[in-house]
Amino acid sequence: MKLLDRYNRVTLITTVIVMMITGIIYYQTISWILTNQIDKDLVVEENEVFDYVKLNHHLPQVFESDDQQISFYPAANGSTLREFINTDYYNSNQKKYESGRGLISSVAVKGKYYKILVVESKVETEELIRIIFFITIGVILLLLVVLLIINRLLLNRLWQPFYMIMRDLKLFNVTDTTDLQKVYSHIDEFEELNTAVISMASRVKHDYKNLKTFSENASHELLTPIAVINSKLDTLIQTENFSERQSKLLNDLYTAVNRLNRLNQSLLLLVKIENRLEHAKETINLQALITEMIVQFDEIFQDKNLRITSELNSKEIYASRYLADILLNNLISNAIRHNSSDGEIKIHLTEESLTISNTGENIALPDDDIFKRFHKSSSSEGSGLGLTISRQICENFNFSLCYKFQQPYHTFIIKF
Amino acid sequence: MKILIIEDEQGLRESIEEYFTEAGNICETASDYQTALTKVNLYRYDCILLDITLPGGDGISLLKNIKENNYTDGILIISAKNSLDDRLEGLDLGADDYLVKPFHLSELKARVTAIIRRKSYNGSNLLTFNEITIDLLGKEVKVGKQSVKFTRKEYALLLYFIANKGKVISKNAIAEHLWGDGVDMADNFDFIYSHIKNIRKKLIEAGSRDYIQAAYGMGYKFTEA
Repeated sequence: MKLLDRYNRVTLITTVIVMMITGIIYYQTISWILTNQIDKDLVVEENEVFDYVKLNHHLPQVFESDDQQISFYPAANGSTLREFINTDYYNSNQKKYESGRGLISSVAVKGKYYKILVVESKVETEELIRIIFFITIGVILLLLVVLLIINRLLLNRLWQPFYMIMRDLKLFNVTDTTDLQKVYSHIDEFEELNTAVISMASRVKHDYKNLKTFSENASHELLTPIAVINSKLDTLIQTENFSERQSKLLNDLYTAVNRLNRLNQSLLLLVKIENRLEHAKETINLQALITEMIVQFDEIFQDKNLRITSELNSKEIYASRYLADILLNNLISNAIRHNSSDGEIKIHLTEESLTISNTGENIALPDDDIFKRFHKSSSSEGSGLGLTISRQICENFNFSLCYKFQQPYHTFIIKF
Repeated sequence: MKILIIEDEQGLRESIEEYFTEAGNICETASDYQTALTKVNLYRYDCILLDITLPGGDGISLLKNIKENNYTDGILIISAKNSLDDRLEGLDLGADDYLVKPFHLSELKARVTAIIRRKSYNGSNLLTFNEITIDLLGKEVKVGKQSVKFTRKEYALLLYFIANKGKVISKNAIAEHLWGDGVDMADNFDFIYSHIKNIRKKLIEAGSRDYIQAAYGMGYKFTEA
């Protein structure tokens, strides 16, 4: 639920409840005041009757009046209790009963005892109350609508900086070189939030950059010792007269140094791609590049008895040739390395995508893991960085690289 | 030939010096910028191996110095920086080649030999090794008068062997030379074996002696002995 909705809901419910309570109290009060007023009228009438009787010693004549009726009934002595009652009032003009307020009292005239009933119509009072009630309801509704609109407009405007900060956070990428933009707001809280977010972002970026610089430097520093080991091995094998055991050890050393070197080169390359160090871009004819690469790998295809089928349409991309070379090399090498003997490789190039499929172990690879650094099958001789590098290159080119397993083919798809 | 090795890393410098020192070669070394500058300005070399990062200065400014003085020494840059820009900058400034660390000494030797061969170009593009003659322009190999057909890789391998004659070349070095950096052929030494078998067969059939020896399962050696 959005903050605005939540806030609206709470304020609306509270407002309605408070208004209702106020309405009830208001109604009761007005009702009480008006009834009181009528009661006073009734008492005035009663007193008039008393005065008249005292002066004239007979009951006054009863006149038809619009809103008041007086009637006298002979009654037993002392049988009447003075009280105010809610009763009906017969409107002789409109010939119908209306609600009314009455006063029962008594008077003695020349020894005779009479019960007096004074009734006054409450119609006008009720009319008044109704009007007041509708006005109140109208005001409440108007208030609600105004509140709602104001909340919506004002809060939307007020929260705008917040949404902008949110958007910035969602788009935040540690590898980006640009800093977060300052969002201007007159609200202190947002200003503070913004400052905090910006400083956090720059701190994260700074840390990330440090880490990257570190791994780059570390890889770089490793180059020299690797170069020394390599050259010393080259020198060592010139000394001749090795036993079979010694030459096996030397071979293992060579292999290990070679792997170390490759790993290191891959790390350096990865840092370089992530840093988006621009390589000179050029128009590359992928069809030609792949054809050339297939020729280059031909010996290996034959040696491993792999059948290669390719269907290449013309496609040109504008990118770094160096990286494109590495990308294709990685994917095709993988297709060879992880193939079964007498397997098959299919390369399909269209305007939209490049698909490289190969046969191999009949189990799908873990989709998410294979692009992670140093994820590799136990049998793999590779560095575990090949696919990571491939994906990075694709990201660099704004392509997407994904993996699918459609029996019996492991398929890597580059979407341009 | 006379070679100057400018490299600050002692281990590497010594290895290179040892590998290049043989009959007919003179190797000199410099481990920092000042020594290198002095030597470069005093003596002429057939080839200078130049490390880019040096204590006390920059290999690139050494290179500029050499070119400003119109010295004709061949220059091979050896650098830890494997970036296209650095490579292009070096070559633009007049270096003859650019080799990225780490490298095999045999690769270095082959590159240096190629540079010197180009520098001492005197109307002939023929490389002769006993009865084997190679026309470097036409990429044609002859044993005596008989021409031998080699594939591209076999030809490259033969040149590599001759440049490193008398040295044991590891299978790793051969694989890297033939396949380049991009392709990891670590588990594909079989190819090397079949290439070498073919070269030997073709040379012997054309009447050459057998110069290629397997060396303890580690590599091969092209030798007269």
